[in-house]
Amino acid sequence: MNSFDWGVIWYSIPYLLQGAVVTLEISALAMVFGTVIGISAGLLSLSDMKLITLVVRAYVYFVRGTPALVQVFLVYFALPEFGLELSSFWSGVVALSFNAGGFIAEIVRSGLQSIDAGQTEAAKAIGMTNRQGILYILLPQSLRRITPPLTNEVITLVKSSSLLSVISIVELTRAAQAIIAAKFTPFELYALLAVFYLVMISALSKLSEYVEARLA
Amino acid sequence: MRASPYLLAIRGLSKIYSGVPVVDRVDLNVSSGEIVMVIGPSGAGKSTVLRCINRIEVPSEGDIVLAGVNMEGEPRNGKIVPDSPAQTARKRRQIGMVFQRFNLFAHLTALDNVAIGPHRVLGTPLAEARKMAAEHLDRVRLSEHMAKRPAQLSGGQQQRVAIARALAMRPILMLFDEPTSALDPELVGEVLEVIQGLAREGMTMLVVTHEMQFAREVGTRLVFMADGRVVEDTSPEIFFTRPAHDRSREFLRRVNSRQSAFDPV
Repeated sequence: MNSFDWGVIWYSIPYLLQGAVVTLEISALAMVFGTVIGISAGLLSLSDMKLITLVVRAYVYFVRGTPALVQVFLVYFALPEFGLELSSFWSGVVALSFNAGGFIAEIVRSGLQSIDAGQTEAAKAIGMTNRQGILYILLPQSLRRITPPLTNEVITLVKSSSLLSVISIVELTRAAQAIIAAKFTPFELYALLAVFYLVMISALSKLSEYVEARLA
Repeated sequence: MRASPYLLAIRGLSKIYSGVPVVDRVDLNVSSGEIVMVIGPSGAGKSTVLRCINRIEVPSEGDIVLAGVNMEGEPRNGKIVPDSPAQTARKRRQIGMVFQRFNLFAHLTALDNVAIGPHRVLGTPLAEARKMAAEHLDRVRLSEHMAKRPAQLSGGQQQRVAIARALAMRPILMLFDEPTSALDPELVGEVLEVIQGLAREGMTMLVVTHEMQFAREVGTRLVFMADGRVVEDTSPEIFFTRPAHDRSREFLRRVNSRQSAFDPV
């Protein structure tokens, strides 16, 4: 440990802070879009229209069955082919939202299905449609059960954002790698990088504990 | 098709689970104002008949016609064009159902359990729906408990809320699926009283029950089911004094011996 270079740590912190801002920006955007996509897809997966449930299942199947890294590349290289020219930043947001949405859809679906079947029967018995039963009866009751796995997903999302270093977004991981390339101090930088992620994710966990308590 | 003189006409109803007929070609016509008590051993298919009437269970065969309207769909050229899910939901509004396990909406207060149907399904403004819900809860003597969640209520109170919830939709037919079977003995009476009150007001209902005394006193008609079939369809008085079938006699003997075994006198 004698060789640990504290100098490079102080030197790096401002750069990593800049990277952390990008990481948080992308994560926050992907969290919002991913949650919207995920909750919508999760609700639609219980639709009484077969075609809709099939589309949702295909989406979830793809997201779960392919590595996030591959999804990032696919979005980055595939979207321009369809005439959609996005910056790296927005490609990253799209890829992470797409990924998180698939997992959140599963969380929401299993949350809804964990509610006692008697609740659905009672909703039907007073003339509610399938959609009304899901929105007004199942969803409110499953929110508390959905929150803990949803938090996990958000944490995964923040960590997955490090994958975006491969499409030249200067987020936290990429910022660290840039300094390593110049200073040749991988140990110091990766240790510092780990601390940065730990701090961000601890803050997220605290936030989710608060939300869970409020929903109780 | 001629207009049926009956409020509810069940014709050839069967429900088959993996080859086994749980309900086997049941015919039953119910006129307006009748109080039909459905009794029989467990596994007789009583509950399934009820659940097929409002299509919470989809019948395997047979027709169910409520006030001249086929619950499955619109008859055209001798065939039935099935309803969309939304149409089925619309038809269900006319039938109130009370479940053995209450099935109150766990996240809502007693008041909102009753108000949510009129509000969300019928489009009644929330304030008005709540006002009407309060009146319905008053009728089942639960005014003091309106703000409570189901978990804070006794079983008997929960079941009375469930009855109010069903009545709030102004149904033309009420289905009771063993409404007191999940209750502690001392809470049975308060629920039966409410049902009896409804009977006096002329509500048409089908009640699956194991309360023989209640069936005899409140029912205007008694249907005894066994093995998915209607064995006897008669008046309660005749059924309990002069049952016509061996199955009925055997059932009554068992019920009587069970009750007398715990009779302290």
